[in-house]
Amino acid sequence: MSRPLLYLAIGTAGTLAPLAVRTALVEQYCYTQWEDVTAIDNAPYDGRFTFFRVRFEPSSTFGGGRGRRGGGDKKWDHDTPRAERHLMKILEEITTLRPKMDCGAIFAFGEAESFKYPIAYVSEPGFWTQSEEEVRGIREFVAKGGFIIFDDFAAQGWYNFEEQWRRAFPDLRVQPLPRTHPIFDAFYDLSGTALPNAYGVAEWFGVFEDNDPTGRLIAVVDYNADLGELMEFSDEAYVPIDLSNEAYKIMTNYMIYAMTH
Amino acid sequence: MESLFELLFKYRPVVFERGTLGFDWPVPWMALVPIALAAAIGAAWLYRQSQAGLTTRDQWVLGGLRAFAIAIVATCLARPVLAVSRAIEQRNVVGVVVDDSRSMRITDHDGAARGDYAQQVFGGPDSSLFKALSAKFQLRFFRTSGAGGRSESLGEGPLNGARTHLASALLRAEEELAGAPVAGMVVISDGADNSSSMPGATPMLEQLLALRARQVPVYAIGVGSERFARDIEVSRVEVPGTVLREASILVEVVVTQRGYAGTKIPVVIEDSGRIIGTKEVTLPRDGDAAVVRLRVPASEQGARLLRIHVPVQSDEMVRENNERAVVVVVSDRREKILYLEGEPRFELKFIRQAVEEDRNLQVVTLLRSAKDKFLRLSVDDSVELASGFPKTREELFSYRGVILGSVEASFFTVDQLRMLADFVGIRGGGLLALGGRRALAEGGYAGTPLADALPVELGPPVPRDSGATEIAVTPTAAGVLHPATQLAPNDTATAALWRQMPPLTTVNEVGRPKPGATVLLEGNAEGDRRARPTLVFQRYGRGKAIVFAVQDAWLWQMHQSVPVEDQRHETFWRQLLRWQVSDVPSRVDVVAVGEGAVNEGIPLRVVVSDSAYARSNGASVSAEVVSPSGERTTLPFEWATDRDGEYAATMVPGQNGVHTVNVTSVAGRDTVRSTAGYVRVADPTAEYFGAEMRPAVLRQFADETGGRFYRTSEASRLAEDIQYTTSGATEVERLDLWDMPMLFLLLMATLGAEWLYRRRRGLA
Repeated sequence: MSRPLLYLAIGTAGTLAPLAVRTALVEQYCYTQWEDVTAIDNAPYDGRFTFFRVRFEPSSTFGGGRGRRGGGDKKWDHDTPRAERHLMKILEEITTLRPKMDCGAIFAFGEAESFKYPIAYVSEPGFWTQSEEEVRGIREFVAKGGFIIFDDFAAQGWYNFEEQWRRAFPDLRVQPLPRTHPIFDAFYDLSGTALPNAYGVAEWFGVFEDNDPTGRLIAVVDYNADLGELMEFSDEAYVPIDLSNEAYKIMTNYMIYAMTH
Repeated sequence: MESLFELLFKYRPVVFERGTLGFDWPVPWMALVPIALAAAIGAAWLYRQSQAGLTTRDQWVLGGLRAFAIAIVATCLARPVLAVSRAIEQRNVVGVVVDDSRSMRITDHDGAARGDYAQQVFGGPDSSLFKALSAKFQLRFFRTSGAGGRSESLGEGPLNGARTHLASALLRAEEELAGAPVAGMVVISDGADNSSSMPGATPMLEQLLALRARQVPVYAIGVGSERFARDIEVSRVEVPGTVLREASILVEVVVTQRGYAGTKIPVVIEDSGRIIGTKEVTLPRDGDAAVVRLRVPASEQGARLLRIHVPVQSDEMVRENNERAVVVVVSDRREKILYLEGEPRFELKFIRQAVEEDRNLQVVTLLRSAKDKFLRLSVDDSVELASGFPKTREELFSYRGVILGSVEASFFTVDQLRMLADFVGIRGGGLLALGGRRALAEGGYAGTPLADALPVELGPPVPRDSGATEIAVTPTAAGVLHPATQLAPNDTATAALWRQMPPLTTVNEVGRPKPGATVLLEGNAEGDRRARPTLVFQRYGRGKAIVFAVQDAWLWQMHQSVPVEDQRHETFWRQLLRWQVSDVPSRVDVVAVGEGAVNEGIPLRVVVSDSAYARSNGASVSAEVVSPSGERTTLPFEWATDRDGEYAATMVPGQNGVHTVNVTSVAGRDTVRSTAGYVRVADPTAEYFGAEMRPAVLRQFADETGGRFYRTSEASRLAEDIQYTTSGATEVERLDLWDMPMLFLLLMATLGAEWLYRRRRGLA
């Protein structure tokens, strides 16, 4: 090979290599934001802890629905897969949990496989909608012992969230989560930690079995907060590292609490 | 047969059995033997010399027959005798022990009561055996119950003995006759010895040895039928000693019968007069046992007296054996189980969720959430488990059960692993090892001190990819019936419920169950050639060790196919954990309590341990016994020197009913109270169970002592047999045998054969 051709080959390889790695990493995770839902390729259940992200048809009221690319802005897929992949990495490093690193699980409430993942993460519940089957699914999920995290919504999105919640659980109130609740001490001591603001003053809410704050915590609600985004961009300078740290601490407590209570 | 023998051999077989063969030489044997030999050889030689055309074969046959005939005559001339030891008339005593227990009331002796037989043969001067025996012996009569002491005539007496202890009765009678020349003992009984039901009784075998050592032969007469024509009996009832409140009690009832095969009858269980369970059973063929299992609720705390009965049929031989009563202690205490989990996982959450409503279970959880960081749940106070997993025996042994989750062996020190093995073996706790990526063989437990306690073989971890194996879990035959895995009131429904359970996954390669281990659940994966042991347990020392080799039993709760209202997951875990801590000993445990009768000495035993469950010998132990009417008495215990840590006392109750025994042990400054023990005092009914005549027992008495066993039809021979004894005042009698018909017949047969042979050969 002549010297100019060799240089050209090395240069081309050097330019394309990072792209190849990035593509490989993206493909390794079973779905990436903006992709079409047909691209969802969940790995089979194997008993390890797996991040379960809830898929739903986004409401078009506040700009949901089809988006910029072919897959459209589906809302529920915001920050995936980087948010959960980073969280899983953190959990693996910090705790004794050995989560599934290569794939998360993406299902709608009520899908048969969804019941194998008792902690559900709902992103952008301001755009959450449910079919009748999904309503039945979420009721069953909760009644059997499932735990739900609502994250990444703000302002008027609350009304949609509350409306959807009441469709499934008309008698269960979404109420402020007391700062003395054991979830704030499940791993880290978060008694002095505030929920990082995203789009306003962030607040913690919760839903309790029989509306009894001393009873079983069914769901935790991060209002005016976006822990997903803080985790997603923790490897870039896009968000302050301290805020990402807080997000990881909070999510770690959620996970440990939900796996023990 | 015996008559024919006597006809041929002049005497009965018993005389030959007991005598010694010999010869009373009328002339010195040195003279007789050469003459006989010369005659025999001469006869044979004459045949050899015969010129009558005899073949060699003829010479041998005829010579042999003639020689044999001469040998018979010579034997008779030598005057054979049987030297036999015989009791001197009227110089010996014969003890007659008559069974006066309640089973002798059964009317299966030719339509009369068994007890009537003794009256029939010994009741008066003209009774057959009395007459025959009293002609040669002085007779002394005893009763098995001890009533009436020793007497010279049988007399009338009630058949009221609550139990039959034949060996004791014989030993007692022999002691009464100590010093007198005793030729033998006669016992009239049905052989239904129930000494094993007598509290504190010396085992029969041990007493048989004592009887044998005295060398007094026992002549046993068996009265009654060996097989009842028609009878139903509740032969056995098995219940757990203690159950937790709100659990169900598994009652196993064994019903046997004769004459009612195919009949359907209900088995009924009552608690304080309330029917709490009933199940219909079809009686099997004669002699076979029907096993009935019922689950009844344990809703009320304390000692529950359960009556298990089947209806009495109109023509049954024994009516009293259709009912049994047992005591089950329903405990309301909170059993503390330590659950150590090595990583956050859903199994932990769902086990806790499954049993959180159970107020008799406290699952104290220690979760290793990060390296050297623990989350404690359901602890009693801020001190409990503050420094992680217990490091001392005292701390670990304060729990009654331990659950090991997905935590590797290297998490523990070697001493902690030994402590865990001792928790099962010495403390008597229940250990449950769950499956998981860091559990069992995959957790490196092979070769550790704990591996010995586990009920399955552990090999080196099998390298596997990250996947898990899906298995369908089903109960084994043992599992369908087991209190931990029985999900429905009956076996069929239980098996059906298990079949509908969703599959689970496992990441553990479990080896073979150890000998003595029981597999309750097994898993089947696609392509498996043999089932995988999935829920296995074994007794190890005083406790039990259980392995449940799956990682996600919580799918039985969460799986889409499981209806929300389904309770199988909760039921399974509640039952498993309750069974795990059932019968776990406490620091002071009342053991060896049972049943007894009023004014009967009932032995009690208490085991006392220190806080590390080492048996403690230096304690001061006493009990407060509370009678059913509320009377309280104090009962001191003495150290039973045969076993470490055991203390014994004998309680003599004054009334029927369930008595409560509360024991207090004081060792230095360590005072411990036991949980209550219960003793049921009731009129004994053992006489009516297994009440058919048992010849084997009576034969054993006879064989061990050199006596004989007779059925009533053969008993007339006893009077003669008992004379030939080495016991008592005896003389040796030499009985002539030369005139035995058998010898004469043999001589005739030999000479006849010779004559016939000669005739056939044309020589006669």
